Amino acid sequence: MLMDNLQSLRYFYPELTLIVAMLVVVIVDISFNRLRNVLNPLLTIAALLIAAYFTAYVNHGQEANLFLGMLALDSFAQFFKLFLLLAALLVVLGSLHSEELLQVHQGEFFALLLAVTLGMLLMANSINLAILYLSLELVSLTSYIMVGYLKGDRLSNEASLKYILFGAISTGSMLYGFSLIYGMTGSLNLYTIRDAFLSQGVQGFDQFTILLALVLTLAGFGFKTAAVPFHFWCPDVYAGAPTPVTAFLSVAPKAAGFAILVRFLFSGMTQTSGSEWGLVNGINWPLVLIGISVLTMTLGNIAALTQNNLKRMLAYSSIAHAGYILMGSVVLTGEGLKSMLIYMFVYLFMNLGAFLVVTIIYNSDRSFEIGDYHGMFKRAPFLTFAMGVFMLSLTGIPPFAGFLGKLYVFLAVIEKGLFWFAVVGTLNAAVAAFYYMRVIKAMVLEEGNGKTAPLHVSFLNQALLVALLIPNLILVVFWNPIERWTASSVKLFSGL
Amino acid sequence: MTFSLSTLLLAIVVLPLAGAIINGLFGKRLPNSLVGLTACGTTGLSFLLALVVFSKLLRTPLEEIPNLSFNYFRWIQVDNFVASFGFMLDQLTGVMLLVVSGVGFLIHIYSLGYMAHESGYYRFFAYLNLFMFSMLILILANNFLLMFVGWEGVGLCSYLLIGFYFWKKSACDAGKKAFIVNRVGDFGFTLAVILIFWTFHSIDFRIVFARAASFSVEGFASGGVLTTICILLFIGATGKSAQLPLYVWLPDAMEGPTPVSALIHAATMVTAGVYMVARCKALFLLAPKAMLLVAVVGALTAIFAASIGLVQNDIKRVLAYSTVSQLGYMFLGCGVGAFAAGIFHLMTHAFFKALLFLASGSVIHALSGEQDMRKMGGLKDRIRRTWWTMLIGTIAIAGFPPLAGFFSKDEILWQTYSRGHVLLWLVGAVAAGMTSFYMFRMMFLTFYGESRVAPEVAPQVHESPPSMTVPLMVLAIGSVLAGWVGIPHLMGQYLGNLPNTFEQFLEPVLETAGQEAALPPAEGTEWAVMLVSVGIALVGLLLARTFYLQKPALPERLKTRFRGLYITLLNKYWVDEIYDGLIVKPVKTISTYLLWKFFDVMLIDGIVNGTGHLIRGGGGVFRRVQSGYTRSYAGWILLGAVVIVVYISFS
Repeated sequence: MLMDNLQSLRYFYPELTLIVAMLVVVIVDISFNRLRNVLNPLLTIAALLIAAYFTAYVNHGQEANLFLGMLALDSFAQFFKLFLLLAALLVVLGSLHSEELLQVHQGEFFALLLAVTLGMLLMANSINLAILYLSLELVSLTSYIMVGYLKGDRLSNEASLKYILFGAISTGSMLYGFSLIYGMTGSLNLYTIRDAFLSQGVQGFDQFTILLALVLTLAGFGFKTAAVPFHFWCPDVYAGAPTPVTAFLSVAPKAAGFAILVRFLFSGMTQTSGSEWGLVNGINWPLVLIGISVLTMTLGNIAALTQNNLKRMLAYSSIAHAGYILMGSVVLTGEGLKSMLIYMFVYLFMNLGAFLVVTIIYNSDRSFEIGDYHGMFKRAPFLTFAMGVFMLSLTGIPPFAGFLGKLYVFLAVIEKGLFWFAVVGTLNAAVAAFYYMRVIKAMVLEEGNGKTAPLHVSFLNQALLVALLIPNLILVVFWNPIERWTASSVKLFSGL
Repeated sequence: MTFSLSTLLLAIVVLPLAGAIINGLFGKRLPNSLVGLTACGTTGLSFLLALVVFSKLLRTPLEEIPNLSFNYFRWIQVDNFVASFGFMLDQLTGVMLLVVSGVGFLIHIYSLGYMAHESGYYRFFAYLNLFMFSMLILILANNFLLMFVGWEGVGLCSYLLIGFYFWKKSACDAGKKAFIVNRVGDFGFTLAVILIFWTFHSIDFRIVFARAASFSVEGFASGGVLTTICILLFIGATGKSAQLPLYVWLPDAMEGPTPVSALIHAATMVTAGVYMVARCKALFLLAPKAMLLVAVVGALTAIFAASIGLVQNDIKRVLAYSTVSQLGYMFLGCGVGAFAAGIFHLMTHAFFKALLFLASGSVIHALSGEQDMRKMGGLKDRIRRTWWTMLIGTIAIAGFPPLAGFFSKDEILWQTYSRGHVLLWLVGAVAAGMTSFYMFRMMFLTFYGESRVAPEVAPQVHESPPSMTVPLMVLAIGSVLAGWVGIPHLMGQYLGNLPNTFEQFLEPVLETAGQEAALPPAEGTEWAVMLVSVGIALVGLLLARTFYLQKPALPERLKTRFRGLYITLLNKYWVDEIYDGLIVKPVKTISTYLLWKFFDVMLIDGIVNGTGHLIRGGGGVFRRVQSGYTRSYAGWILLGAVVIVVYISFS
């Protein structure tokens, strides 16, 4: 059902909530000098919760194209929107007691976070290349500011600048790709584009133009998901940004990037026939994606091996995880898509958990070096236990949630007969085990470096740790709801 | 208050487990008295409950007994393979239940005194209770897999208890030897269980036996499946019950504390193989070749072990070889189809062999740890209670009427003879003579003649405390009386028509239809066979008396005269050395050079470490690529994009 602008508004409540909240936060910030530090976090949290409520209940079960075919209202978008709102909520909670952020004025931080979230929700929704580009820019521009949030910090500024440069190049090239596509098909709507490719056949276009358009577009998506070879900004930016921002960047925009990638691939470049996809194009997409996926995970894992800065290590690790998530997109099946969503869902909890531990330890020790984590077990046993669980989960060791993600992704490619691909993934996981275990070893086995005072963990952070631990510990047993949820979210693409 | 049978059976099993857990986890902090109380209390209660169960069993109508099977929960379910945690109860289980819990309880009491001065008191009782738990699982299980759980459990406890003095290398080695040799047998058992499931699609005893009974011999079974299953089961039994060729671990197992030798390596665990063969009677009866194998191996083991026992000097080793030999008799009985006789001997043997071991323990205790009989002698008056109880045990095992051993052993020998296995009977009879000889040799060397006790030990010789001697007396009474439940018909008819209660009781489970005596049960023959048995035992006794009491020089003369034979026996036919050369050394060589130095160190470690170095190097390279300069990043991205374009255009 195609809806006009006025009709669409009532399905736009989640985004409207965020817009309103963003404005209110800015006003509160300049009006209430004393209350703003209490009010703003509360407002932000409330806005995220209300938006989540609208997303989950008010729009439930509806399928429509809003704003005359700009945005899609479907279960796939719903999954990503809830996911992104949850990620934003966890990051807000994790940032409240971050010493890095407390040093500077906080007001804009929440406004920026709301703006980024708004952009990401739009990314997950968009089925029009123009709105897709705009939302991506909204996310990028606000992210640049957040990365450079520590104004006095050289690394933070450098990271921000690099991020801008790469962002500009990537979005520029993506925009060039879009314009070529528009020039060939005369439309920005993904479905129209597909129909154009379908009706005329690939042979009807200049082969090199198609190729160039798609590769340039891919560069934009690759930038957002930090896939090799468009990942170079990632380690520097992650290492320089405030830790809560890094945590946020490593999960949310990446997921939004995958959302647009999936939409572009599945809505724009392929057609469904029964439950199978056929490619509308002569381009061997799977092979390209396999190549990128293998390179991404291998490079991420191998580069992570030699890092001594935990933030940098986690940056490379998040590159590697993007490689695993890409595995699911390769197979072009409902199973593959479902496995991507499951992977992202478990990745949210383990990665945010790991970054939360890093934040907490930085709060008291002012260090990201693994060497300074020695003897942590004696100073903060619970924190060490939590980190152990997050690390093992990231490795993909069975009783923890990370195993579930890897299991589904590997199963999806094995079902397609790509055994060697699964083997590569497994070998990569084995390599990854080394650097994750290294953190546990440093915290548990190594002797302390003189510091013996128990490490302070605020109550909020403890509660948050527990909240992040629980999914990591129980999802393997109660995976059924997640599996059903993700399965229904990809129904749109599985043609069922 | 009455409990259902299923609850009672569960309680019988769980009580010792609870004791093991309490002593195992908290025993270190508990006083010894409490540790002993927990261990003996739980096994004692178990024994009481076993008595209740037995009395209930006696009152249960015969036709209902085959239905007494209780599944507590589904343990494993994969496809159509179902393994329940379930127990069954029938006459055979009932007898085993009484023997295991009764003898077990007595030995727990005995251990209170024997282990009083040892360190690791709690550890000992935790293991002992764990053993009781496993053994009860073994005999109560209603399917092959759960039986295997108990089977492995007792093996583990046996290993732990043999190596109880873990600071002694010999004890550790003996423990390992027992464990490893048993694995060979267990492998047979495992294969048998797999084959049983494969053939009958079930592992529940009663279902399997029912299906086996309706098995067409011409069809499937002619391929030898049943024979294979039975032989594999019997291989399992030879490991656990120390038969040829896997008996070698049992003599070494005497490194463990004496109560352990009595409980595990004489009365209960080693009889598990006999129990299992009797339990699987329904299968064995359908596989005559396997039956013959069981009988032959049993008879050969009986005489082989007895011959070694003739010349041993360590008091516990004599008893160990005697155990191996007696187990041989039990298998002989089962093998010729007289399962009830085999189980009968199992029961009486549990009494007198436990008695003999505990008595030998009392002797060793009195002599402050001396086990060499050449350094004993003349102890009769110093430790009188030990002496007379041990004498009863000796008479019982030697087979003099009216003690327990006579009835059971004679039953086996008569059944062997009457079913036409004259040669096997002859072997068994000769072994009986040897048994009598070496047992009385042990008695004479230990208690009679002149004292050869070391001078520094002699003044301290003392009788053991009541906690040790009372179990001895109880077992001695048992050794006298236990046989009377199975008085053969032949004698019973002159004693007011006494029936053979034991065989009648076991008949519903162990009747051997179609396996009746080949010879007509001529009364004269049976008397003759019986007299021969007693006569042979008497010859053994007299020979021992001549050798070791009257003419002590005679054994020395014989040693020099038949030197080759003597050395062969003393070195136990060099079986250990042969195994060492044929199996242990080659395995060691192969594992050292091929598996360890080549596969492990060179191949596996090489690959793993090599990969590690390679990847580490790769990490270094990537690190340099990430230089921090934006221009170089841009260059790499451009390169990457070009590579993708080129790759797509050419693919």
